[in-house]
Amino acid sequence: MNPRKDLLDIQSLTDEEITFVLENAVPFKDLFRRSVKKVPTLKGRTMLTLFYEPSTRTRSSFEVAASRLSADITHFDVESSSVVKGESVLDTVETLEAMKVDYIVVRHKQAGIPNLIAKNTAASVINAGDGWHAHPTQALLDAFTLREIFKDLRGARTLIVGDIQHSRVARSTSLLLRRLGMNVAYLAPGSLMPREIPPEIPQFGNWTDALDWKPDVVYLLRVQTERLDEPFFPSAAEYHKNYGLTDARVQILRERGIYVMHPGPVNRGVEITDKGMDYERTLINAQVENGIAVRMSVLYWLRPGAEGGVS
Amino acid sequence: MSNKRLYRGASIASEDSPKLTKADVLVEGDRIIGVASKIEKADGAEVIDCTGRVLMPAMFDIHVHAREPGQEEKENIATCAEAAINGGVTGFIMMPNTSPAIDNSGVVRSVLESARRTRIGASIYTSGAITKGRKGEELAGIASMKAAGAVLLTDDGFPVDNPQVLRRAMEYARDFDLPLASHCEVKELSGKGAMHEGKVSYALGLPGIPSISEEICIARDIRLAEFTGVHLNIQHVTTARGMETIKRAKDRGIRVTCEVAPHHLIFSHEDIGNFDTHYKMNPPLRTKEDNAALLQGLIDGWFDVIATDHAPHTEFEKNQDFASAPFGITGLETALPSLYDHFISRGVFGWDLIVKRYSAEPRRLFKLPPVPIVEGGAAEFIVFNPDRTTKFTREFMKSKSVNTPFLDKELKGCVERVVYRGEELLAR
Repeated sequence: MNPRKDLLDIQSLTDEEITFVLENAVPFKDLFRRSVKKVPTLKGRTMLTLFYEPSTRTRSSFEVAASRLSADITHFDVESSSVVKGESVLDTVETLEAMKVDYIVVRHKQAGIPNLIAKNTAASVINAGDGWHAHPTQALLDAFTLREIFKDLRGARTLIVGDIQHSRVARSTSLLLRRLGMNVAYLAPGSLMPREIPPEIPQFGNWTDALDWKPDVVYLLRVQTERLDEPFFPSAAEYHKNYGLTDARVQILRERGIYVMHPGPVNRGVEITDKGMDYERTLINAQVENGIAVRMSVLYWLRPGAEGGVS
Repeated sequence: MSNKRLYRGASIASEDSPKLTKADVLVEGDRIIGVASKIEKADGAEVIDCTGRVLMPAMFDIHVHAREPGQEEKENIATCAEAAINGGVTGFIMMPNTSPAIDNSGVVRSVLESARRTRIGASIYTSGAITKGRKGEELAGIASMKAAGAVLLTDDGFPVDNPQVLRRAMEYARDFDLPLASHCEVKELSGKGAMHEGKVSYALGLPGIPSISEEICIARDIRLAEFTGVHLNIQHVTTARGMETIKRAKDRGIRVTCEVAPHHLIFSHEDIGNFDTHYKMNPPLRTKEDNAALLQGLIDGWFDVIATDHAPHTEFEKNQDFASAPFGITGLETALPSLYDHFISRGVFGWDLIVKRYSAEPRRLFKLPPVPIVEGGAAEFIVFNPDRTTKFTREFMKSKSVNTPFLDKELKGCVERVVYRGEELLAR
């Protein structure tokens, strides 16, 4: 396995790298059962989080992961920095480069920003979500979570429900699950279903047809009403009724033993109800816990300064 | 020193035949005074060996962003003229999306004055905006811009959204005998789109510009042109269906012409790869199927002209994420080698197509005389060496900007000499 500098998307990963990250996350997760959860692996290294979009969960997850590896953690506060005064991303990166940090964890509302940063720094760049493009650590933690449930992912079925068009999670998680041999299908309102997705992914417009496909997992996407500036659907209530996990649908999933996942944070009453959150096969908390283990594994795997991070 | 030059043993390209004709060409002053298979007696003439070289009429580009006034960090008229000469283009029409816009006679006069100071000053023309500030609301001073020298009306970069405003502009332009060029796009359908809406935009997570955005506007503008009788030129057509709509309109006798840009023939959205902003322009690169359809349309004569949409931007501007980087690539210097390398050298089409679509027809569209290589004709031609290559390094390019997918790449063919009004502006 060649050393890799950056984690930008799922496409560029080799099978070997995917296996490496997922398998090494297991011993990292075992640490969480100990009273001392820290190892000295990244002692003396610095991880910087650079979040242009607010995200408490993902950022905390990376910070907990880094601290359990004994890395030093710093946060570049975009809100109060000159970024809001119009400093370009690359000017910021030059500043960070001078600080000699080892890992830069980036979230940005524009697709491709992590790729741009990665080309201009020796630090390892980890994409923590860029626009609609990619969210590779989410995909890895989803795959890890599913591997804990299913002995063999091959042939198992995941139905992804919601705003497929604008979801980086749908893109990255679909790519990875399919790489691992799972079948993936989409359920979405027509206005949020992209027109050109791979033909191997079945597309559904209602729950009845989607459940006839016999999914093993239902993966709900967050309805990001704050990001939708066009009328993609009439109201949150109508979305919930037609595409949400209603109490009645929770009952159907229970009868059929179907698992539920969600990248968080959830909109209760829109994509999922309280009963859905409390449903015994809802894996949302497991996803959060596994996120830390998988991100530890990613930090352990990447090599700051290595060549060939970006193509 | 005599002012005669003999271009010996050249292969002459013309719009009338795909075959090149072997001939010697004698130039005196600003005229071609002899074209014959062998010119022996050229007393005192400087002899230039053109064995293996193609002589073709110099090109004329009807779609160029010279960025003056106001965006001189990207380009100015002087550097744009030098870029044109470097590519074998000896005349062009400037677009009005400058800052301020070229939307009144004062700015028209000022850019033309600036143009006169370049080495191809007499052959640089300007368009004027259709609407004030290119805002699509009020008509610009069309008659006074024409009086000051504007030869075309366009809000290029933007469509005129309001069909009533466009109708009035067309009626006015028709009476003042000015062609009107449309950048066809329904802005609401394009939204924040950064590239063609399709499988690549989906994979990259970038907002898309759907083909229908362009196609619907083409249909609307053609209907308005038919209704008003204006000469409408559709700029930079990128989709097969858009092209077919124009073809049907032509067949019905509507006064519509259209352009195709080299990059829309050569590249597709798949070339964007990993967010390479050198492939970002508007209208965007479409599919490979569109490339093939446009190419066939060009061969079949559906396109009136090739035009580059030369659109310089600084490296700083292009070195951003894909959605934030500006639309546009340069084209004047790379056009001919790129068309030669991709098409002529591979036998896809002949030299006659280039001469017709990138030299003769663009001039005719603006009532300018073409510059065929004939006895008594204007000496305005280039010497192209198919056996050399051109590497588009920063040093080679004369444009202020280097935002081209061909940056540091090598293409077959080399523009060795450029003759303008009898004078050699370039020799290498």
